[in-house]
Amino acid sequence: MTLPILLAVFAIPTISIPFVYFTGKKSPKAAAIFVALIALINIGLVLSIVPTILDSAKHVYTESYAWIPTLNSTRFSLFLDGMSASVALISLVLIFVAALFSVNYMAGKKNLPSYYALLCMLSVGLVGVFLTSNLLLFYFCWELMLVPAYFIVGEWGYRNSYKSAFKLFIFTHAGAVFVLLGIGAIYYLTGTTEMFVAQAQLMTAAPDIIKWILIALTAGFAVKMAVFPVHMWLPDAHSEAPAPMSALLSGVIISAGAYAILRLSFGIVFPAVGEAFGTNFLYALSIVGVITAFFGSFLALVATDIKRLIAYSSIAHMGYIMFGLSLFPIALASGNPVLLASASAIAIVGTILHIVTHAASKGLFFLTAGGVMHQTEERDIRKMGGLASKMPFTTVSGTIAALSIAGAPPLACFISEFLIFIGAFQIIQIDNFYILPTALMLVATVFSLAYSLRFVSKVFLGTSKDEAGAEEAHKDASEHIKEEAHKILDIPVYMKISLGILVVLVVLIGIYPTFFMNLIQTVRFG
Amino acid sequence: MMLEEFSAWLVWVIPLFASLFVPLIGKYSDKARNYFVVAIAAVTAALALSLVPSVWNGTGQALTTGSVSWLPGISAGVYIDPLSVLFTCLIGFFALIIAVYSIGYMKGEDGLSRYYYLILLFIGSMIGLVLADNMLQMFIFWEMVGLCSYALISFWYKPESIRAGVKVFIMTRIGDIALLAAIGILFLMFNTLSFRGVIDGIQTGGFNMDYMVIVAFLVLGGAIAKSAQLPLFTWLYSAMEAPTSVSALLHAATMVKAGVYLLARFILIFSVAPTLISALQPLWFPVIAWIGVLTAIVGATLALTTTDIKGVLAYSTVSQIGFMMAGLGAAIDGAASVGWFASLFHMVSHAFFEGLGFLLAGGIIHAIGTRDMRLMGGLRKAMPISFALMAIMIITTSGLPPFAAFFSKGLIITSVTDTGNLLQIILLYATTAITFAYVVRMFSLVFMGKESEHLQKQHVHEAPRVMLVPAFILAGFCIIWGLSEPLVASFMHVNLAEGLLGAFMNIETPIFLSLLIPTGLIAYYTYYKGYKGVRNVAAGKNPLSTLLNHAYFFDDAYNLIGKGLTGFSEGLTRVENALFGRYPDNAGTRVSHAADPGQATTLKRGPSSSFRNYVAAAVVGFILIAVLMILTGALGIGV
Repeated sequence: MTLPILLAVFAIPTISIPFVYFTGKKSPKAAAIFVALIALINIGLVLSIVPTILDSAKHVYTESYAWIPTLNSTRFSLFLDGMSASVALISLVLIFVAALFSVNYMAGKKNLPSYYALLCMLSVGLVGVFLTSNLLLFYFCWELMLVPAYFIVGEWGYRNSYKSAFKLFIFTHAGAVFVLLGIGAIYYLTGTTEMFVAQAQLMTAAPDIIKWILIALTAGFAVKMAVFPVHMWLPDAHSEAPAPMSALLSGVIISAGAYAILRLSFGIVFPAVGEAFGTNFLYALSIVGVITAFFGSFLALVATDIKRLIAYSSIAHMGYIMFGLSLFPIALASGNPVLLASASAIAIVGTILHIVTHAASKGLFFLTAGGVMHQTEERDIRKMGGLASKMPFTTVSGTIAALSIAGAPPLACFISEFLIFIGAFQIIQIDNFYILPTALMLVATVFSLAYSLRFVSKVFLGTSKDEAGAEEAHKDASEHIKEEAHKILDIPVYMKISLGILVVLVVLIGIYPTFFMNLIQTVRFG
Repeated sequence: MMLEEFSAWLVWVIPLFASLFVPLIGKYSDKARNYFVVAIAAVTAALALSLVPSVWNGTGQALTTGSVSWLPGISAGVYIDPLSVLFTCLIGFFALIIAVYSIGYMKGEDGLSRYYYLILLFIGSMIGLVLADNMLQMFIFWEMVGLCSYALISFWYKPESIRAGVKVFIMTRIGDIALLAAIGILFLMFNTLSFRGVIDGIQTGGFNMDYMVIVAFLVLGGAIAKSAQLPLFTWLYSAMEAPTSVSALLHAATMVKAGVYLLARFILIFSVAPTLISALQPLWFPVIAWIGVLTAIVGATLALTTTDIKGVLAYSTVSQIGFMMAGLGAAIDGAASVGWFASLFHMVSHAFFEGLGFLLAGGIIHAIGTRDMRLMGGLRKAMPISFALMAIMIITTSGLPPFAAFFSKGLIITSVTDTGNLLQIILLYATTAITFAYVVRMFSLVFMGKESEHLQKQHVHEAPRVMLVPAFILAGFCIIWGLSEPLVASFMHVNLAEGLLGAFMNIETPIFLSLLIPTGLIAYYTYYKGYKGVRNVAAGKNPLSTLLNHAYFFDDAYNLIGKGLTGFSEGLTRVENALFGRYPDNAGTRVSHAADPGQATTLKRGPSSSFRNYVAAAVVGFILIAVLMILTGALGIGV
C-alpha cells in the first residue's frame, strides 16, 4: 500500500479553498501565506516522489482510485513521470512566488479573500493537468485552470479587464472545445479514458480518423499556447492581468499547452498516424513555430507598454517551444518507444527544459514589471528610465530576467535554447527540411536579444524622466511637493523575497540544470 | 588531478567567485573593495603564470581533459595547451594592470561596486573562455564576456553609452549564432562537445568534408563579429563610450582577441587532418587573409581621420587585428606555419602597445575632460611623462625596430609574403605606412603645437602615479617583448626558420623603412609646417572625406536595416491592433491601482459587441492553422 501522495497534492489545495477564503476575511496577508504554504507543501510532496521516479524501472509513479464506475469504470488515476514532475514543480514554485508577491502587490484592493481562494483553485487545476493520466480528469483540470483565471483577470485587472478576461475565456474555451472533440473521439475509438491504455489501442484504429484527432487536439492546445495565428487573446489578457496572475499565465499556463501537446498529441495519438502524415504534421508545426517566434519578437521590439512587451515575448518563446516540439524525433512515427536519454532526443529534452526555464524567467520578468508598475505607477516604458539607482534590487532581477529571456548564458533559458538548437542540428542529419527553420530560429535569437536590451535600457538605464523635468517642477512649489510625494523607492519586502527566489532559480538552473535534465531524460514516449 | 589542472581551474573560478563579494565589501569600505580586487587580480596573474612551466616542458599537446561531471553526458574541464596558457597569462597580467590603473582612473565615480564586480566577472569569464575544454563551456563564456562588455560600455548610463552597449551586444550576437551553428554541426558529426573528442573524431577521419568546410566558415563568422573585422567592425568604435580602463582591458587587450583565439584554436584542431587542411586551402584561408588585409587598411584609414583620441586607438585595434587575421590566413599549412605563430605573437605585442595607448589616453582624458583631439595640443609641457611614454607607444605601433611590433608585424608580413599574393602584400605595406601616419598625427595633435584655448582655461596636471606605473610596465614590455621571440616560440613549441637577427636581414625591413620616409615627410609638413594641402582634403567636401567620415557607410547601412525592421514591426503592430486590439498600444496612461476602488465595479459590464469579433477571430485562426496543416500534408513539403 503506497501512501496517497499525489492524491494529497490534489486534495490539500482543494480542501483549503474555503479556509483560504475565511482566513482572507480576517487578514489577506495570512491568506496569501496560506496559499504559499500549500504550494510549499505540494513542492515537498512532489519532490518526495522524485527519487522513486529516477530509481524505478519504468520511471513512472502511479496512483489510481475508483471514481466513476458507471462510465466504463473510469478511475481517478494520477501519475508522475520526469516531464510532469519538472513542469509541476516549476508551476508550484510560481504559485508560491505569486502568492507571496500578492501580499504587497494586491494590498488595498477589494475582495481579496476571493482573490486568494481563486488562486488556490487555480493551483488545483494547474497542477492537476500535469498529474493526471485520465483524459476526463485532464479535461476537468484543463477547464479548472481557465475559470479562476477569467475571474482574476476580470476583477483585479487593469482598466476594463473583464473584456480582456472575456477574450481570454472565449479563445481558450474555443480551443478547449477542440480538445474535448479529440478526447471524445479517443474515447469513442478505444472505449477507455486512460491515456496509456488508449495509446496502445489507437495503434489499431484507422489512420484517417487519427489524423483528425491529432489536428483537433493540437489546434486546441495551440490556442492555449497562443502561437500565431491564434495568439490574439494573449497580449490583452497578459498585460491587463494583475502581475502575479500575468506571471502564472505567461509562465506556466500557456506552457501547459506545450505540455499537453507532448503528452496527448505526441504521446498518445502521434504514434498511430502514418509516417508520411506525421512528418508533414511536424513540418507544419515547425513553420508555425518560426512564424510565431518572429511575429512575437517583432511586436515586442516596438511595444511601449511594459507588460505588453513581455506578453509579446511570451508569444515569441512559445514559437521556440513549438519549434522544439516539431523536432519530435521522426522515429516515433514508426511506433517505436523513444527514451529521451537517447542521443537523438536532445531537442525534446531541451524543449521540456525550456518550458521550465521559460516559466522561471518569464515569471521573474512579469513580477519585476509588476514591481516597477507598483512603485512608479507608470506603464509606458518611454516615460520610464533611470530606475537603476532608485530601485537597485528590481533592476538586478529585471536585468537577469531580460537576459535570460534573451538567451544569454549563464542564465536558465540559454541552456534550454542551446539544447534545442543542438538537437535541431541532429534532426537535420535525419531530415534536411529542418535546415531553414533552424537557421531562422537562430536569427530570431538576435531579435529576442534586441527587445530584451530595449526593455533594460528604457526602463532601468538612462536618466529619469522626472529628473529631466525636475527644473520646471522646481518653479512651482506645489509641484515640487508632489514630486517628493512620488519619490520612487525600491520594492517592499515580500516582493523582494519572491523576486529573489526566482533570481536564484534562474541562475542556478542556468549553471547546473542537471537536476531537471536527469528528471526529464527518464521520460519515455510511445 | 594534476597540480596544473588545479591551478587552471582556480585561475578562472577565483575571480568569478570573488566577484560576488565585491558589492558586499563595497558596502563597508571603498578602499577595502579596491584592494580586494587588486589582490584577486594578483592571485589570478600568479596562478596564470604558474601554468607556464608545465606547458614549457610539455610536448605542445593538451595536458588535460574534461573530468568534472556537469550535464548528463558532458563533463566540464580545462584545456591546458600553449595557446590557452599564452592567452591566460596575457589576461591575468592585464587584469592586474587594469585593477591597479582603475584605482586612479575611476576615483570618485558612482557605482564602483558594479564596475569592479563586472571587471572581476569579465576576467573570470575571459580566462574561462580560453581554458574551456568543451564548446558549450566556451560558448557560455563567449557570451558572458559579451555581456560584461555590454554592461561596462553602458556603465555611465548616458543615452549614447546605452545605445552603444546595445549596438555592440547585438552586432556581436550575429557572430554568436554563427558559432552556435558551427558547434551544432560539429556535435552532429562527432556526437561530442569536447575539443578532445572533436580532435579524436577528425583524426579517425569520421567526418563529412563539406560539413567541415561549413563549420570552418561559421567559425570565421563568429570570429569576425567578436574581433571587429569587416564588415562588422563598426561596433568597436561605438564601444569607446566605455570608461578608458575598460577599453584598454576589453577592447584592446583581451575580449576583441577572442575571435583570434577562436580561429587559432580551430586551425590547431583542423591541423590534425592534413586532408582537411588541404580542403580549406583553396577558399577558407584566402578569405581570412583578405578579410584581414582589407580590415587592416580600412581601420588604418579611419584612424587617420577620426578626431576622437580613443577613436584613433579603436580603429588602430581594428587595423592591427586585421594584421593578425592576415597572419592566420597565411597559415595555409595549419598550426605549423609561421603565420599562425606570427599572429599570436603580434596579438600579445598589440596588447602591450595598444593597452599602453589606452592607459595614456585615459590619463589625458582624465586631465582635460575631453576626447576631442582638436581641443588638445601642446600637452608635452604639462604631461611630460605621458609624452615620453606615448613616444614609445607610437614607435612600437608603427613597427620601428627594435621594439615589439617590428618583430611581430614583420613576421606577419613575412608569412603573407610566403603565400605569394602580391596584392595582399602591397596593401599590407600601404597599411604600415598609414599606421605610421596616424600615430604621428595623433601624437602631433595631442602633444605638439600650441596649447588650445580649451587647455589654456584649465590647469592641466600629469596623471597620478597609480595610473603611470601600469603604463611604465606596459612600455617596458613594448621594448623587450620583441626580443623574447625565440623564447615565446619555444614555449609555443613552434620552430621558426629564422632567428631574431633574421628580422633585420630580411628584404621586408628596407622596403618597410623606405615607405616610412614619404609618410613621415607628409605628416611633418602637415602638422609642423602648417601645410594645408592634406588638411584641406580631409576637411573639405569631397568623396574621399565623405567616405571616411561615414566610416565607409557601414553604420549607415546598418541603421537603415534597423530602421526598416522597426518600421516593419510598427506596421505589424498597427495591423494587429486594428484587427484584434482594443486600445492603441501607445495609450500610456497611469496605473490607477488603489486610486479608484470603485473602478472594478463600474467597469463590470458584460461583454457584448466584441463577442462576435472574437468568435470570428478564433474561427479564422483555426482555419488558418488547419489550412496550414492540411496544405503541408497535401503538398507533401519536403518528402
